[in-house]
Amino acid sequence: MSDHDERQAGLDRRAFLQRGGLYGAGLLVALNLPRPDAARAASESTKPVVLTEAEWATLEAATARIIPTDHEPGAKEANCVNFIDKALANEDAAAVPLYKGGLAGLDGVAKARHAKAFAALDPAEQDAILRDLEKGQAPEWALGEQLPSTMFFETLRVHTIVGFLADPSYGGNADFAGWRVAGYPGPRHRRGGFTPEQVEGKAPVVPIWER
Amino acid sequence: MAEEYDVCVIGTGAGGGVMIDQLTAAGFRVVALERGGRVGPLDFDDDELKNVIRDQVFSPHQLETYRFDAESESVTGRFSHLAHCVGGTITHWAAWSWRFQPDDFEVLSKEGPLAGANLADWPISYEDMEPFYTKAEQDFGVAGDNTLNPFAAPQKTPLPNPRHPERVSAKKFAAGARKLGYHPFPVPKAINSRPYGGRPRCMYGGACRAYGCPVHAKATTLSVSLPRAERTKKLDLRIDAMVYELPVDDRGRVTGARYLDSQGNAHEVRARHTIVSAGAIGTPQLLLLSKSNRFPDGLANGSGQVGRNLTFHHHPSVIGVFDEDLRTYTGFESHAAFDDLHASDSERGFIRGGVVAELNTFTHQPIAYSAVLAGDQPFGASWGAGLKDRIRAFPRTLTLALIGEEMPMEENGVDLDPEVKDRFGLPVPRVTKRQHDNDLAMYDWYEKKLLEVAEAAGAKHVASGRNPELHISKTQAQKGNAHNHGTARMGVDPSKSVLDKWCRSHEVPNLWVVDGSFMPTTAGYNPTLTILANAYRVADHFVREAKKGAL
Repeated sequence: MSDHDERQAGLDRRAFLQRGGLYGAGLLVALNLPRPDAARAASESTKPVVLTEAEWATLEAATARIIPTDHEPGAKEANCVNFIDKALANEDAAAVPLYKGGLAGLDGVAKARHAKAFAALDPAEQDAILRDLEKGQAPEWALGEQLPSTMFFETLRVHTIVGFLADPSYGGNADFAGWRVAGYPGPRHRRGGFTPEQVEGKAPVVPIWER
Repeated sequence: MAEEYDVCVIGTGAGGGVMIDQLTAAGFRVVALERGGRVGPLDFDDDELKNVIRDQVFSPHQLETYRFDAESESVTGRFSHLAHCVGGTITHWAAWSWRFQPDDFEVLSKEGPLAGANLADWPISYEDMEPFYTKAEQDFGVAGDNTLNPFAAPQKTPLPNPRHPERVSAKKFAAGARKLGYHPFPVPKAINSRPYGGRPRCMYGGACRAYGCPVHAKATTLSVSLPRAERTKKLDLRIDAMVYELPVDDRGRVTGARYLDSQGNAHEVRARHTIVSAGAIGTPQLLLLSKSNRFPDGLANGSGQVGRNLTFHHHPSVIGVFDEDLRTYTGFESHAAFDDLHASDSERGFIRGGVVAELNTFTHQPIAYSAVLAGDQPFGASWGAGLKDRIRAFPRTLTLALIGEEMPMEENGVDLDPEVKDRFGLPVPRVTKRQHDNDLAMYDWYEKKLLEVAEAAGAKHVASGRNPELHISKTQAQKGNAHNHGTARMGVDPSKSVLDKWCRSHEVPNLWVVDGSFMPTTAGYNPTLTILANAYRVADHFVREAKKGAL
């Protein structure tokens, strides 16, 4: 296999995982049934609705490694775990088994290696485990073919990014943390758009949270 | 016996919408069958999660299968970027409005045969299309200045609206292109640069492609053609009408259409003529579903060409990261292009070519940018601190891409999936698609050129995009695209084509097809202005022939 082909194989797998693992295939069609009442009730809460307290803590710790906190907020401050919990309560309900299984699997690897829960490990230990899950190279992963660690990792990765950068009404991107980091000033279709001068860079753009 | 309409139009997008408009204006009584529901400006926001990532707005029931070739397993999903709604896929188009070049109408004659490709000439010339390009540009209010493009196809009438403001990203792109001796120009866009046609000026909200326009500044059949048709009182528009069969009488003429409503109840309409515009995926699906004793292989398929020769465009893309905010989250998808590298030159190792543009497809909002683009770059990483650096580069990232002409291949196409059924139990369309070697050579050549432009533009980090959704190789093809063409070709020879030069079936005299299916080859340009212009051309012919009593 040449480097090029290997790269392609990797991309194929990623495309497959993105499609099949989260927002793909028949899953997506099944998930698109509107559930407005459930959505409203869930989105009004910042407490766990689908996850247990323990799962919440494990997931929050994992999201914090996907988008870490530095001089700016990361996934933890953006409350990405709340976004995922609410997505699982609504549009992404079909991914509940993946999370329930995957979070238990993640903690299982942590306990096998360090005799501690994943959330109690230090960041370097957490990163080492996540890297192995990403590559499918954690021998302690107990779910095997039933739920490949690669699929759990990719779902976690994409969901964390979405939670960081989706509209705050979905439960993440708290206080516009993700949009602040991205330098994205917020959606404008309902706010009059931008002026030609702003398009051309001749006038400043004020983020929606400062207006 | 049910009432008989003059015309039944299936699909309300670019082709069907124009036919509905032009035929109702000429006094014909039209029944239009649209598989989707009604959407409008009140449904159109720019929530990236809802519109792009979850794709919940336009085609909630779309389902298809994809396989690389006849030996491959197929996967089930939603790969084509379509909108099943009143107005069709043009509802969320990005409004690029090119005219094809004169030589795009005679690819086989110009190039000669190419091994493994099914090249063909169009049965019409650029001159035949020219007045209808003008008609489409005027009706859809195209804005731009094609005099700034030395390679533009000849046009007798200037565009009706002035150019739009030049986004910062477009200025960077243009500066890089000029440094290399190219001639950048504003992309012609069917988006109002001033109030026009009773519609307001664009508000430059940034999220344009894949979104509906909340103010109808973007010209679509939903904003231009269908309101006009509804005012004539000649239109009976039926929504949630999934056509599953075009029945034929004992003379071999289509009698209208049979469809299922949202509850799965069957209905039938009768019409003297039936015009299919279900898209280059949906049209072959419908024709192949319409089997009868007279047409055992599907309606109008005596040539065996229905569903074959499917082409998309391919899109090598690169990114360049700058120090300053490029305002990619403003404006619309693409503000600038150059066409210096388009002309076919087999010395390059491939024939044909495409137009190069700056665009915000993945940089208009941050989710798709961060989840997809960020993963495979030399700069940054797919997670951790590297990902965060990439997220921070969001407003400073320029994207360049090619609209590359794909070679038609007979074995690429659409048929009926033998196993997977939709919610009504109908076989879903199965797309079989791999890439011709010419596509791969073109892709690689242009990718290098795009990298040069990004560097010349002054980018600090330059990398090939290699988006997994778009990248092609010997073992990977695009599974779907918004640009779908070729599955019911027009041509002179009934044994090699489905439609005649008027997009009328060679075999079924009252059956017409006006979506992108008709295109024998695709050109290296976005196709929609040509689909619109062709529909004006076919409608003009239809009306003239009907007045002569020849239909």
